[in-house]
Amino acid sequence: MAFNELIKNFANIRDYMREFYVYGFKSREDFTSKSLRSYDDSRRRIESWLSDHMSFSFTPDGKNVFISVDSRSCGSNPLFKAWKSRSFTDGDIALHFILMDILSEDKELTLKEILEEADTYNGMFEEGRVFDISTVRKKLNEYVDLGIVISRKEGRNTYYKRGKEYELPAREVLRFFSEISPCGVLGSFIEDKYDRSHKGIEDTLSFKHHYITSTIDSEILYTILDAMGDKCEVDITSVNHRRQETFTDTIIPLKLKMSAQSGRQYIMCFSIKSEKMVAYRVDYIVDAAKGEAVSYYDEVKCKFASMEEHIWGVSIPHAMEHVMFEICYGKYEEYIRDRLIREKRCGTVTLVREGVLRFEADVYDSTELVPWIRTFIGRITALEFSNKGVERRFREDLLRMYEMYSEEEAK
Amino acid sequence: MIFSEVYGAYYNIMADILKIAVRRPPSQEEINAIISEKGFAETNLFFNADLYENRYKLMTGDGRTPVKKAPTMPLTTAQKRWLKAISLDPRFSLFDITIEGIEDVKPLFTPDMAEVFDKYADGDPYEDDFYREHFAMVLTALREEKSIDLHMVSGKGKKRHHVLTPMRLEYSEKDDKFRVIGQEGRNVLTVNIARILEASLVPQEVRIDKEPYLDKQEVTLMLYDTRKALDRVLLHFAHFEKEAVHLGGKRYKITLRYFPDDETEILIRLMSFGSLIRVVSPEPLKAELKKRVDRQHDLLSL
Repeated sequence: MAFNELIKNFANIRDYMREFYVYGFKSREDFTSKSLRSYDDSRRRIESWLSDHMSFSFTPDGKNVFISVDSRSCGSNPLFKAWKSRSFTDGDIALHFILMDILSEDKELTLKEILEEADTYNGMFEEGRVFDISTVRKKLNEYVDLGIVISRKEGRNTYYKRGKEYELPAREVLRFFSEISPCGVLGSFIEDKYDRSHKGIEDTLSFKHHYITSTIDSEILYTILDAMGDKCEVDITSVNHRRQETFTDTIIPLKLKMSAQSGRQYIMCFSIKSEKMVAYRVDYIVDAAKGEAVSYYDEVKCKFASMEEHIWGVSIPHAMEHVMFEICYGKYEEYIRDRLIREKRCGTVTLVREGVLRFEADVYDSTELVPWIRTFIGRITALEFSNKGVERRFREDLLRMYEMYSEEEAK
Repeated sequence: MIFSEVYGAYYNIMADILKIAVRRPPSQEEINAIISEKGFAETNLFFNADLYENRYKLMTGDGRTPVKKAPTMPLTTAQKRWLKAISLDPRFSLFDITIEGIEDVKPLFTPDMAEVFDKYADGDPYEDDFYREHFAMVLTALREEKSIDLHMVSGKGKKRHHVLTPMRLEYSEKDDKFRVIGQEGRNVLTVNIARILEASLVPQEVRIDKEPYLDKQEVTLMLYDTRKALDRVLLHFAHFEKEAVHLGGKRYKITLRYFPDDETEILIRLMSFGSLIRVVSPEPLKAELKKRVDRQHDLLSL
């Protein structure tokens, strides 16, 4: 089949986008789970969508293709383009513009009236396109589901009219929230409605510490947020990367937690299968379907709210653990004190003595604090975890760092 | 719901071409310009061929169309729900706009349904009147290409006076802060909007061409992939321009490019990975890291 830059199924390309953007060191032969033809076509498509951001390197393993984007210098998420690549038939695009044109008058029409009107669009062409009634009905129903057409039944007739028009918010508003909000690609779709000549200050916006990969999970996230708003269950299929297998669960979604320090997104939820609160990484979920409304949703949400103050990141094991560490700072180093206070997500900070601060917290998983505590390396004067295994590993790792950099100097 | 052809690049291109065609036949240059702006790298090849072969039956070879009105498409339910959701965000009111007609729309999410769990606690005061006034002034200065005469307090608590011509408005999700990046004379300054004490617009228009960003520096790391180190490091630094090379076995070399003013932050972020990574260059960054590790070794008598 001839190459086409458009695609029918987003799930296939989602994996490649992540591999190229996050990892970027795999050569063609490393993509063993897909055929080489599939790799070549996907690579060519992504190159076509993101040509300005694609890079290549040559290693003994072969040519590596990767997406390299400094999101601070890039005012709009380049990965949004992937969402604008859905394939369609010649009939789909023709019927779309004909229907929108026919319904542009603010009046209701029956299917029969629309069909008669559609036939008049053929006059200019030697071989016109004839739409049958079931095709037009199907397309109209599809648009009713999307919300761009409104239908009303009266007796045996169904009447159709266009959805309501809205004044668009300024481009900078759409651009800003497209970048920082869940499912931001929807804002990018709205921004596409602006005429090419209508420029505002949207290009003067930039974003620091900005992760752009989560956009490729927008379809899954939309389903989960929709279910959360309606207090419904969601049937999910997710990947267990350690076991290299997929599993299913039915969850009650409670909150979306997004990380500004790793770009990961998690659904905090109650797992009906394991009967406990869990966090599922959104990028590991491969399928999500909205289920039935949950009558006891508010009770579960309330229980989760009571646990939240002891969750440092997203992990919720069973027992609570205590963490304490102290740091020292000099006379003109109050910024260290300020950093400790501003970066702590729970727990308390107390002044032990002039120039020494103590942080203490009871959390569900003390391993989640380890990367943060390491950022104070060079200032930690005391350290105590109730989970002694975590404390031992922390100290051993510090020693390993010391040996690693000392050995290097000795060479 | 989201992956639909109605949002697609080809539909947008067709709409823009038809906007011209309902008035007069579009020229090939106009068609190419639309495709080049709204399409992908190879769209010219595919879309032009489809138009030329008249496959869509929406425009004749000589540029006439049976479509009568310039095409528009109403917002979809998903778009309306997203707009409603952002209108509930405390930052939305900074832009001083309202979206008419979405009062009865069910938001896709509300602020209590989605949160950034690891942002810093001293984010900007979005409800503060002075802050809002200064934010609005920055937007006006960017729109009208004007300078701002401002008094501010620096990070070290010192009062400063600047006449700044804003070039960019930068937002950090981690810091939850807006910063204005602009020029004062030949210098490029970054000012936290929340640190502005007093400000007024300078009436004259100013034109600036210089890009605010400086040359980047590189840091090179070695990584041995245990405990999902590769996944964690590459995800954490995903927003940097970077390159990862597989050296064989579980060994990887990673190069990150960053702006010099972010060096301290880079150092702190590298330290958070402990012994999972080893910084090999640049020398000053490595030396500072070693100094801190040595000091830590002594402090805890490891």
